[in-house]
Amino acid sequence: MTMGSFEASHLTKRFGTAPPSVQDLSFRFDGAGAIGYVGPNGAGKTTTLKLLVGLLRPTKGRVALNGVDPVANRRRALWDVGAVIETPEPYPTLTVHESLDLVGRARGLSTQDIDREIDRTNGLLHLPRLGHRIGWLSKGQRQRVVLAAALLGDPSVLLLDEPTSGLDPAERVLVRGLLNRLKQDHLILMSSHQMLEVTEVCDRALFLDHGRLVLESRVDELESRRRLRDVLVQFLRPVPWERSRELAHLTTTIRPAGERGWRVTFEGTDETRAAVLEACRAIAPVVEFESATLAVEDAYLDVIPTDRPAPVGTTS
Amino acid sequence: MSVETTPTVSRGPPGRPARHPVSDLEAWTILTVHQLRNYVRTYRFLGLLAFVISISALTLAFQVDAGIATVRVQQLYRSSEYLSNFLDYTGLWIVLAAAFFGGDALSVDFSTGAGYYTLVLPVRRSVLLAGRYTAATLVTLAVVAVYYAFGTGGAVYFFGGPAIHWDLILESFGLAALFTLAALSVAFCVSAFVRSPAAGVLVTILTLYVGFTVLQGVVELAGVEPWFSLTYAGGAMAAVLDTDFVHLQTVPLGEDQYYTIWAATVWEGVLIMLGYLVVFLPASAYLYQRQESTG
Repeated sequence: MTMGSFEASHLTKRFGTAPPSVQDLSFRFDGAGAIGYVGPNGAGKTTTLKLLVGLLRPTKGRVALNGVDPVANRRRALWDVGAVIETPEPYPTLTVHESLDLVGRARGLSTQDIDREIDRTNGLLHLPRLGHRIGWLSKGQRQRVVLAAALLGDPSVLLLDEPTSGLDPAERVLVRGLLNRLKQDHLILMSSHQMLEVTEVCDRALFLDHGRLVLESRVDELESRRRLRDVLVQFLRPVPWERSRELAHLTTTIRPAGERGWRVTFEGTDETRAAVLEACRAIAPVVEFESATLAVEDAYLDVIPTDRPAPVGTTS
Repeated sequence: MSVETTPTVSRGPPGRPARHPVSDLEAWTILTVHQLRNYVRTYRFLGLLAFVISISALTLAFQVDAGIATVRVQQLYRSSEYLSNFLDYTGLWIVLAAAFFGGDALSVDFSTGAGYYTLVLPVRRSVLLAGRYTAATLVTLAVVAVYYAFGTGGAVYFFGGPAIHWDLILESFGLAALFTLAALSVAFCVSAFVRSPAAGVLVTILTLYVGFTVLQGVVELAGVEPWFSLTYAGGAMAAVLDTDFVHLQTVPLGEDQYYTIWAATVWEGVLIMLGYLVVFLPASAYLYQRQESTG
């Protein structure tokens, strides 16, 4: 399979006199895998995706899809790219089949292959009835149709702007599973506010704040970046609260979590984590010992200044 | 200057669907067909068609009620005179259709989510525009054709088949087609400028119908021929059927005071319409190319 690539080089986008939405952004990815693109609202995630597909023109710098500038050579740049940006709205009067047919034909598929591809994406995404008009569909159904449109013809690069937005929990699980399969032989750039989604799907994460790239990391390496770790401990039976003092030398805070659990926060490495686990086992049999927050979420809160909500029911 | 080259990615490994490069002509056909499907299912098209049919049918019904003899006298015993009067509203239908199908044809891409579906396709924007323009032309001409069918049917009923000047009807329809192209060029240009779809439709109607008509009246009062007006040029559609056509009429208003009325000749009409087409269509393509999805 032709492996895809996308890149931004010193990319800046400014609207009028406002501060730049995207500032001096540079990255390049090729091959296969999923890259999470995270940041607060207004950080410039969607702007970057729009710049990548040529919906916006850079103020400075350049972008390329599969090595081709989408502003200079739109047809060639978008030839092997599927994109879902913002909330695409196919013509409301066309049926699901007709809407997908339009995309399939524009991507150079034969009538037979279009039908095969629609069947394939139908199997992947459980599309609504193909004869239904787009205007009759719910937001979630429409989102699945536009995701199917992005996948038609099996493009090597997928640019997805909050792809599970508007989907119900079951649909989110479906799409996450699909993206996990697709990333084996596709290159996916996926913006998301869902840290669980980024953790489950992405291999790497780009953190954007005020239009600047503030961190780029492998997702599995984010765990080692954590300064503060938060774990939930579930004991076999309720434990007197006074015994939490036995963990005081290892931890920053301990809070009750349910009838049989504590939420333990500590600073340190995996060795400290192991020591906390041992100390808990010494108090009572432990049935669960797991991270209370996601590494991606912690990294996000670490690199992007924000008003972190105060923990509820904090004790010493 | 950048030059677009034809994509060469054609076939991946087994299991991946084969894809052939899509030429601009093929993309234009695809987009025209899909846009046409969309237009003919809209309430705008169905409503306009129903309105034109209702008005035409009512007109015919009143004429039939008045009787063949009365209509023949009223129309000076000429089928072309009858048709010229019947088809007098062609320009209005075309302006309405141009506003409905062209007034928001491009702005939808930047004010709604439509652009996030179509503008990420591997198709040049000029080809997207061409597909929409062609589809809008075809639906507008469908409405006009229905109107002409009613008019021609009436002419046959009141004057008999042999009295019909088919060549003049065809010539008039050809002018209507040219007027459609010109009006749509203006509408597309408006839609490339005005971001709100509703405002685009309104501005197109106000410009093409109200604006030009008022301006035409004002310059005629000043004794100037309104050669700049598309509405003026549109008069050629009915004028070509009018055997008593007069280019210039002077109406005395009082002592040494005259009011001059111009009617566009066929060639004048053709030139003005072509002028609008040549100026506004490339302008809309340029503006559409420059537009960004900032919403």
